[in-house]
Amino acid sequence: MIRLLNICVIVALFAAAAYVYRVKFESTRKAEQVARLRLDIRHEHDAIADLRAQWSKLDNPIRIQELAQRHLTLRMIDSKQFDPLDHLPERPADAPPPNSPDPIGNLLEGRDVPTASIASPRSPK
Amino acid sequence: MTPIDRAHALVPVPFPPAQAAKAKGSWRHALLRTLLYGRNVDRAAKTKARLRLAILVFGLGYAVIAGRLITFAAVPEGHLGRRASTQDAVATARPDILDRYGEILATDVRAPSLFAEPNRIIDVDEATELLSSVLPDLDAVELRERLASKRRFVWLKRDITPKQRAEIYRLGLPGIGFLPENKRVYPNGAEVSHLIGHVNIDNQGIAGIEKWLDGSGLADLHLAGLATDRLQEPVKLAVDLRVQHALRDELMKARDKYKAKAAAGIIVAVRTGEIVSMVSVPDYDPNNPREALDPNRINRLTTGVYEMGSTFKALTLAMALDSGKINLNSTFDARVPLHFGKFEIHDSHPEGRFLTLSEVFTYSSNIGAARVALAMGVDQHKAFLKKLGQLDRLRTELPESAEPIVPRHWGELNTITIAFGHGLSVAPLQAVMGICALMNGGYLIAPTFLQRSEEQARALATRVIKPETSDKMRYLMRLNAEKGTARQADVPGYYVGGKTGTSEKVFGGRYSKDRVLNSFTAVLPADDPRYLLLIMLDEPQPLPETHGFRTSGWNAVPTGGLVIGRVAPLLGIQPRFDLLPADQLILATSTASR
Repeated sequence: MIRLLNICVIVALFAAAAYVYRVKFESTRKAEQVARLRLDIRHEHDAIADLRAQWSKLDNPIRIQELAQRHLTLRMIDSKQFDPLDHLPERPADAPPPNSPDPIGNLLEGRDVPTASIASPRSPK
Repeated sequence: MTPIDRAHALVPVPFPPAQAAKAKGSWRHALLRTLLYGRNVDRAAKTKARLRLAILVFGLGYAVIAGRLITFAAVPEGHLGRRASTQDAVATARPDILDRYGEILATDVRAPSLFAEPNRIIDVDEATELLSSVLPDLDAVELRERLASKRRFVWLKRDITPKQRAEIYRLGLPGIGFLPENKRVYPNGAEVSHLIGHVNIDNQGIAGIEKWLDGSGLADLHLAGLATDRLQEPVKLAVDLRVQHALRDELMKARDKYKAKAAAGIIVAVRTGEIVSMVSVPDYDPNNPREALDPNRINRLTTGVYEMGSTFKALTLAMALDSGKINLNSTFDARVPLHFGKFEIHDSHPEGRFLTLSEVFTYSSNIGAARVALAMGVDQHKAFLKKLGQLDRLRTELPESAEPIVPRHWGELNTITIAFGHGLSVAPLQAVMGICALMNGGYLIAPTFLQRSEEQARALATRVIKPETSDKMRYLMRLNAEKGTARQADVPGYYVGGKTGTSEKVFGGRYSKDRVLNSFTAVLPADDPRYLLLIMLDEPQPLPETHGFRTSGWNAVPTGGLVIGRVAPLLGIQPRFDLLPADQLILATSTASR
């Protein structure tokens, strides 16, 4: 009886040892993998920082201005070139399809046009 | 020990004479036991207790071992993490510095540095020779000296290229190694130099915002060796890189055009005190900090103090208007130059008549301003300037600041000259802060290089003048752009208000006629101020197209106009046309609403 128990215990011991060894081995492998990934991430971070620095160097306004002056014919913006949105004219009615038999009739039916002509936005009230 | 022995020991029996000797021995035995263990002790129970104690002690020992094993298993990355971080033993990472829209102003890049451990080098001559072949710019004699030294660690060369690193690695020299170090780079070069400052070779901030970063905790992190990672929060400044570029570009052009010694400009958000842009040319490239040592390249806006000239008349007039004793239509005698002792105060464009307060401002009359200040009295003048922070050193995040030069004995003559901006030297940034308070409804807000909301600014602000006074000051500024000296900066659509200043520089103990410091202060838009701009030109020269004039209206003002035209769209100011003139738009609404 006792001998049987001993044998069982020894078998269990070996099984446990094998299992623990496997777990340990696996965890070491995983740990190395983690360390390697960390290192990769670090390198990626460094590369990103490097690229961002290069990008902002290329994006530097001094450089952009020089390139624009050399290759483009743009001039400085004038404050008169800005216009507020409420000065924008109303959207005109859609043009009738090219082959329609009655373009004016379509225009009147298709849209809710109160008059035949479109009011100028700046017309005196 | 058998039960019989114990019976002997416990129950003494009379012994027969034949057993006397034995009995005598066992009696001694019993005595010994009694002495050793005490009388009436159950030794079996005692033994059991001892065994239990032993079991407990061993059990505890094993439990401790098991516990340690569990902790080792549970925290596996302890030693691995440490191994990874020894790679950057030089822990000097700094947070990125960004502009207000996230453009990078300063960032860290990893670069390998070469070091040696001289006690591990076998052949110094061979090592010197091989290293010099890869790094020809290294001084061979000095290199040999370093390698032969008794120290345990020497830097050989900081910041080498990856290619050099690979070549040296291939040499296979013992005792030579690499450490990746953080290297600070400023991708925008000189664009923001004075503002962000720069670092030394060990990545410690030694000027500008970089120094401020060290002061606010980063240096301690470096000392503790904790600043290893890039995970530090980036620092966002109030500066706008695009605006900064536009301002700098125009200032450089103006400096060339008017052959000025230096030019400086600053743009401040009036309601928050945020410094959106600050330029002082000549400046330097922070990637090459040696340039910063040139005294001509100092930041004139914070480190220099100047007599601000007529710009100070704005403060004088605000004081008079705020007192309530003087209004915009009060008149002052400007018929003849003002005599005080042996001094005589002139106007540059004498009108030779009584001037109203608004005319004193638009004609920039020295006599008028002096009379205004005299009417208020010396003490009140001094107290008002003190209240506006013009007499104390202004401290911002930048470590560089200058103390204003205040006359030691402030008499009537001082009040007369300070009324038109001579005799009191302040840092231009300081003057900007004072004029901001006159424009924004009367709140004095300390300028900052960091972002700040209007609520935060209001919590910090102190009220220095009444809101009505601020309205009148804005009216005067606008009037000056409509009819006064600032006409050339009146960019259509932005409703600019401005004040010019031309101050003669002291040279050889007296004011010089041909060395002037010109300034132009503009507020935009004047009816609802958002930004304040200051332009300064140091010793501009007269040109044919300025008709030989060197006053501010001929150089600083047109420069200001160009800057406003370029910068206003970037600042999000929508141009409005068909606005009423100042007396109807600002003054009328001011009196109507109060």
